[in-house]
Amino acid sequence: MPGMADVTGDSLNAALVRTAYLAQIRFKAMRARTARRYMELHALSASLDLFKPGAIVPWVSYLFPTELLTSYGLTPMIPEIGSATLTGTDLREAVESAAARMPLARDVCSYHRIALAAVENDMLPAPSMCLGTTPLCLGKECLLEMLAVRHSVPFREIRVPMPPDEGETAPEVIADVAEQMRVLHEDIGRWSGRKPNLRKAIELSNRASAAWGHIMAERLAGRIEMNGRSTFATVFLGQLLWGTEEGAKDFERLLSEKGRSDLMAPVLDGGRKLRRLLWLHTVPHHDAEIFEMMERRGAAVIFEEMGQMHMETVDPDDPFPGLAKRLTDNALWGSSARRARLNVALAKQLKVDGAVHFNHWGCRHGLGSLPVVRAAFVEAGIPFLAIDGDALGRGGAQQDKARQAMESFLELL
Amino acid sequence: MPYCYYTCNLIPFEIVARNGFTARWLGDHVRGPATQTRRDALSVHPMTCPYVTKLVAAADQMLAGADAAATAPGAEPRAAHTADCIVVPGGCDAARRMGDLLAAAYPDRVFVLPMPRSAVPEVTETLAADLCRLDEWLSARLPDGAARPAADPGSGPHADYPAEPRPGGVFVVAGPLTDDSLLQLISRLGAHVSGLESCTSPDRWRLLAAGTAPVEPEGAAGVMPPGAAPAAGDHVHLAARLLEIGMCPRRSTTARRDYLNRRFDAARPTSIIYARQSFCDPGAYDSLLVAQLAAERGLPYLEIEVDFPFDANGPLRTRVEAFLEAQLLDDDLLAVLDDDDLFGGGPGEDDLLATSGGHGAGGEG
Repeated sequence: MPGMADVTGDSLNAALVRTAYLAQIRFKAMRARTARRYMELHALSASLDLFKPGAIVPWVSYLFPTELLTSYGLTPMIPEIGSATLTGTDLREAVESAAARMPLARDVCSYHRIALAAVENDMLPAPSMCLGTTPLCLGKECLLEMLAVRHSVPFREIRVPMPPDEGETAPEVIADVAEQMRVLHEDIGRWSGRKPNLRKAIELSNRASAAWGHIMAERLAGRIEMNGRSTFATVFLGQLLWGTEEGAKDFERLLSEKGRSDLMAPVLDGGRKLRRLLWLHTVPHHDAEIFEMMERRGAAVIFEEMGQMHMETVDPDDPFPGLAKRLTDNALWGSSARRARLNVALAKQLKVDGAVHFNHWGCRHGLGSLPVVRAAFVEAGIPFLAIDGDALGRGGAQQDKARQAMESFLELL
Repeated sequence: MPYCYYTCNLIPFEIVARNGFTARWLGDHVRGPATQTRRDALSVHPMTCPYVTKLVAAADQMLAGADAAATAPGAEPRAAHTADCIVVPGGCDAARRMGDLLAAAYPDRVFVLPMPRSAVPEVTETLAADLCRLDEWLSARLPDGAARPAADPGSGPHADYPAEPRPGGVFVVAGPLTDDSLLQLISRLGAHVSGLESCTSPDRWRLLAAGTAPVEPEGAAGVMPPGAAPAAGDHVHLAARLLEIGMCPRRSTTARRDYLNRRFDAARPTSIIYARQSFCDPGAYDSLLVAQLAAERGLPYLEIEVDFPFDANGPLRTRVEAFLEAQLLDDDLLAVLDDDDLFGGGPGEDDLLATSGGHGAGGEG
């Protein structure tokens, strides 16, 4: 496998290596014919294009409505995905060293810290524009705006008021967010000098949403049991592909048994009953051991909180209200009480044996809601475990501790 | 008179006062380390800034204590106790989650006030609407006829400069401070302070005090009678004023940068110290910005990690001391260089002085 530097350079040699590498990944995807493999291929391929000279690189927040970009044929650069990918490559040591040398405090979110170190050391492409959303956290808004100032590129933030703890978001709030998106969509066209095709982007996004929404409904109804960790990893990458032809096809591949065959929950030997867990917040991307240990002990994550997005389609004739509603209603946005209520309801619907909250390093909004979420689960009588960790971590004392906590939790279950 | 505790001074005090509450800063009620903790006390994840951690404990103590006092056998319940409430301006994720936690533990006694990052007209209107909700919420907390404009001015973060700030000294950028002990430490170490940028800085609370209606004794002219509906423009004006004054690290980088530049221009410091609380996201990014501004001005810069309440402990004192001593040493050397005939009027003077490191702009003060 070539190194990251080999495939992201702008020399002829790098271009050849990149082409050969993508051909290899494509071959693997064609053999496997699964959504997961194709999504990896297409996300990687689109992301590598961002390293080409002259590429327009929109750095955006994780929940940014990327259809506003695909309308112009642009691929988003999402810091969380960039960091998770880089720390899984041969550049891990280099980017970690760069982050350690950086004056930014070590206690901030590691996704953002690594992303900053990477862009400042040419391991991720520099931004052409930085586009944020108030959901989910303030830290990434600080990062995106700081990058915009440093690189003298435009910064915009979609301001999204908190949804109510109960009930629907007010129509005027949705209208306000929709209007911000409409203006921003026009701004992106002005900055990029490209012509939009939002209708096409929305139609493609809708194909993906319809497929994903169907899969999620089947999972919620208990008719399909998927591996929450792998599924999250796939959807995480899928954030780069909403509104593209590739994204539509890849999500539609999930509809066939073959297409989702490498994302299914394990089946235990001898008819043993699987202990089914709900996973809250992000996952430790590079710690396979904890999940392998869970499987050895007859447990698996069968649903993930963060997969609950893009489950409804948007009106192509008037897309902004639908895109706005998707953002305002995100399960992780809003008060801790709202998050707790939604997750307890989810756990009850799925009839899980327990829930695990991953306390990602430096994530104030996730960690901050933990006491309320925990109390709600305890009150509902659903076993609950919170484990500390770093989503980008690999090995170390903290992961050992998390594994031990998980073992004890599984024994209790 | 019931108390309205607050966690950040970006609340309009006249709204609190005209609804019959005395405003009290929770930072004044932080428990000492020796205080016994209740078994069921609220707690937050350890990866939370000390300010929020301590304020959650203080709020929990105040509200639980008030409940206990009101319901204790034989005790005469004070109506004010059960009406005590907390307003939490949620400027950052940790503060917002603090509000969520307290609201979940003490339903109907906590108001979380969203604090935006920018001050564009739409944002001001949204904040005005939230202030209107706060006004109504406070107004509904006391029985009809019970609310009278508070006569007690309440308490707040009123840390002041130990001596009048003047150019040519240290400029301190910090999160919330309970008192002036950091500034005192700098003075004790032989330097003087050129300015303090903090949410508890006198440069903010004086503006807040001047910009909001002063709390006057009951019945005095200018105080809105209880229950009277404020003018529609009142909340918009208050929102605009709060956003103008509250130019803290959570704000837009560009606006914050301009604001800090103005403050540094006015204070003309020779060095900058950033006292950052651990686990503070806005502070972490803000310290990068301030470090960059210091570099642009050629000013020596020191970042220290501090607790809340501020504790001038050994290692921290040593770091500040070493930083200030290094500057004094540099100043002495520069003085020698200035006096030395070797450099007087020679063609290489500018180059030699330019390499002596970081005294150009600030040294002129």
